Amino acid sequence: MVAVTDTIAPATAPVVGDGTTGRSRARSRWRRARWPLAIVCLVLLVGLLAALPAPRTSTVALAPDNPSANGSRALAEVLREQGVDITYVRASAAALEAAGPGTTLLVTSDATLTDDQAAQIAASEADLVLIDPVWILSLVTSSADTTAEFAPPQVRTAECADPDALAAGTVDVSGRGFVALDDAATTCFPVPGGESAAGAYLVVEGERRVTALADGSLLANDTITAEGNAALALRTLGRHDHLVWYVPSLADTGEAAGPPLRDMLPPWAGPLGLQLLLVAAVAAVWRARRLGRVVVEPLPVTVRSGEATRGRGRLYRRSRSYGHAAAALRAGVATRTAAQLGLPRSAPAPVVIDALARATGRAAEDVAGLLYGPPPTDDTGLALLARTLDELESEVHRT
Amino acid sequence: MTITWRAVPLAALGTVAVLLVPVPGTVLVWALVVAAVCAVDALLAASPRQVAVTRSTPGSVRLTQTARSTLTLANVGPRRLRALVRDAWLPSAGAGPNRHPVDLPPGESTRVSTVLAPTRRGDRRADRVTIRTLGPLGIAGRQASLDVPGVLRVLPEFASRRHLPSRLARLRELDGRAAVQVRGAGTEFDSLREYVIGDDVRSIDWRATARRADVVVRTWRPERDRRVLIVLDTSRTAAVRVQDAPRVDASIEAALLLSALASRAGDRVELMAYDRTLRGRVAGFSGPRLMPAVADALAGVEPALVEMDWPGVVSMVRERLSQRALVVLLSSLEPAAVEQGLLGVVGQLAERHQVVLAAVRDPEVEALRTGRGDVSEVFDAAAAERAELERGAVAVRLRQRGIEVVDALPDDLAPRLADTYLALKAAGRL
Repeated sequence: MVAVTDTIAPATAPVVGDGTTGRSRARSRWRRARWPLAIVCLVLLVGLLAALPAPRTSTVALAPDNPSANGSRALAEVLREQGVDITYVRASAAALEAAGPGTTLLVTSDATLTDDQAAQIAASEADLVLIDPVWILSLVTSSADTTAEFAPPQVRTAECADPDALAAGTVDVSGRGFVALDDAATTCFPVPGGESAAGAYLVVEGERRVTALADGSLLANDTITAEGNAALALRTLGRHDHLVWYVPSLADTGEAAGPPLRDMLPPWAGPLGLQLLLVAAVAAVWRARRLGRVVVEPLPVTVRSGEATRGRGRLYRRSRSYGHAAAALRAGVATRTAAQLGLPRSAPAPVVIDALARATGRAAEDVAGLLYGPPPTDDTGLALLARTLDELESEVHRT
Repeated sequence: MTITWRAVPLAALGTVAVLLVPVPGTVLVWALVVAAVCAVDALLAASPRQVAVTRSTPGSVRLTQTARSTLTLANVGPRRLRALVRDAWLPSAGAGPNRHPVDLPPGESTRVSTVLAPTRRGDRRADRVTIRTLGPLGIAGRQASLDVPGVLRVLPEFASRRHLPSRLARLRELDGRAAVQVRGAGTEFDSLREYVIGDDVRSIDWRATARRADVVVRTWRPERDRRVLIVLDTSRTAAVRVQDAPRVDASIEAALLLSALASRAGDRVELMAYDRTLRGRVAGFSGPRLMPAVADALAGVEPALVEMDWPGVVSMVRERLSQRALVVLLSSLEPAAVEQGLLGVVGQLAERHQVVLAAVRDPEVEALRTGRGDVSEVFDAAAAERAELERGAVAVRLRQRGIEVVDALPDDLAPRLADTYLALKAAGRL
């Protein structure tokens, strides 16, 4: 019997403290934390540097923040230098809100405008500048219309009395032209030598001034320096101190977005959210500190039993070794039954067959075929052999 | 520094302030208030480093029994100690509830105890003692983890001791001390006594009869004072999991039962655990001191993933034993391992000693062998059958070299080995 020694181990000297002082703890904490802290600081710094100076640019055609060939940043910058206050918008609601009387509303395209948006723009009290208006012009004014034919790019001269057009002299344009329907409208820059009176520049004077330009290239960065393009564009857009630069967007359907979510919440909602964040942070600090470290169990080496046997079985199966498998099953049955019948291990096959035939009452040929016959060649054959061998063995057991 | 759950309601209380003054600054102010309250409470808490901790553990305990680890905590600081103490142990030490609340005025001491129900054999170590003191408000506190060493030695279970009484009875029958119908027939000459009717006439000593007027018979008794050397294989084959326990556990049970039986039978028992080096050894103990020594030596034995050094075993056996002895090898019958290691050198052992190889059989292979569910199970069955045949062939080759082979399932190994020992003793082959 194992005698369980239940003696109490001799009491050792009591342990007081963990051998640290406030100073050593602070030093070790600092040592542990300094590299992570340094990395966090570095990341913050890099993030700040990346976020701060980057002037926002875009690739939207005719946008005032697009510095590429099809943008209009050059024009916008010059206008700003001249004291024009530019409001760049992508939503029609914002454009209409910003465009009051005494301002200029520039609409760079009407291709993506909905009917409602177009009607609202047409009803605006601001002076309108329309670039390449395909269908909106008839809503804005009844004094002019857009022609259907499309002219190739070429240099045209003003050939009218409008001071802006005269100041520009010649421009390099293409696109559809405008025809005046009554005296309020003036068209300039007709196709040279053409029969039609359609011009690339339209001014309709009235309660508000409506200007239409046939071609956006008059404003684009790469072509604005050609001929008198710049003069025409600057004079057209710089009439008022305030310019609303509206570049219509596909994403904007003009429907009112409603008041922002922030305005629908009570005023204490924001601080309350911050307070809940504080509560969550305190709870996290409470749960984060463990009562001592996690104790890790040194796990013993384990080798699964039967692993080698299963592996060998799988090898048999993968290589379709019916012969080997059948031989193993037969040898196992032969060895066990021979031992039951009192035969030595070294007994030759005929003796075993003979003894088994006598013990089971089966014909000797059957037993011989079962134990020493040809190996099975497929799954069903092997399963059948295994079952028949089981039967044979159980019959021996019975006697 | 640490905070408790009370800090969370304190922080939540700020909601009222935020509703009264709904600006973000209120949240910042309240956060500073919470931080200040926590800091003050932590500063007012007793220092966890001014607690004198002493641990006492029982030296050893048998697997399946429970033990108690007691911590004596003395408050040596000037403040009242309100703390939570965690007595951490390895998971396999099976510590029960090990977080103890403590409330100690300065200068006083108390004891907290943790119940340990170990689940693994060997030395189970205590981890750190963590003391978390709380301030007067119970909102925040301080925490320190102290190294207070402690070891609980977990001895093997010795579940096979239930087989001991029946084997001891058999031993007494052999001895002739028990009143049985069949006379105990040992092989060692004991004494001469007068013939009584019923004695075997073959045991009459004619020479002594001639010297005296009476018919005198010889009596025999089983051999005594033989040496038994148990070699426990702790190499890679012992690491195999058989029924949720490594194979070495079954071998240890068998070693314990055999040691108990052989020491009662008057034999001298030695034991060594070996793979490539000596892992444990018991020699020179007898009587009641033997079993504690064996249990202690086997407590920390763990299998290692190395190949068994059988030539080393042979040379160690030769060193230890000068006369004929019973050498019990507690190993396995892995055909490949036996053929490459044991078979080559076992002849040298067998010519001088009686060698018994006790091997743990794998019940999983037995289950695989009878599987007929689908064709992959039949293939597995064929593989199991082949493995069994190879084991059988190896056992035959060992028997041809004069070695007794005991091949049994884990639960049967200890009694089967004891039976083999008794049979060898009865036959006088020790």
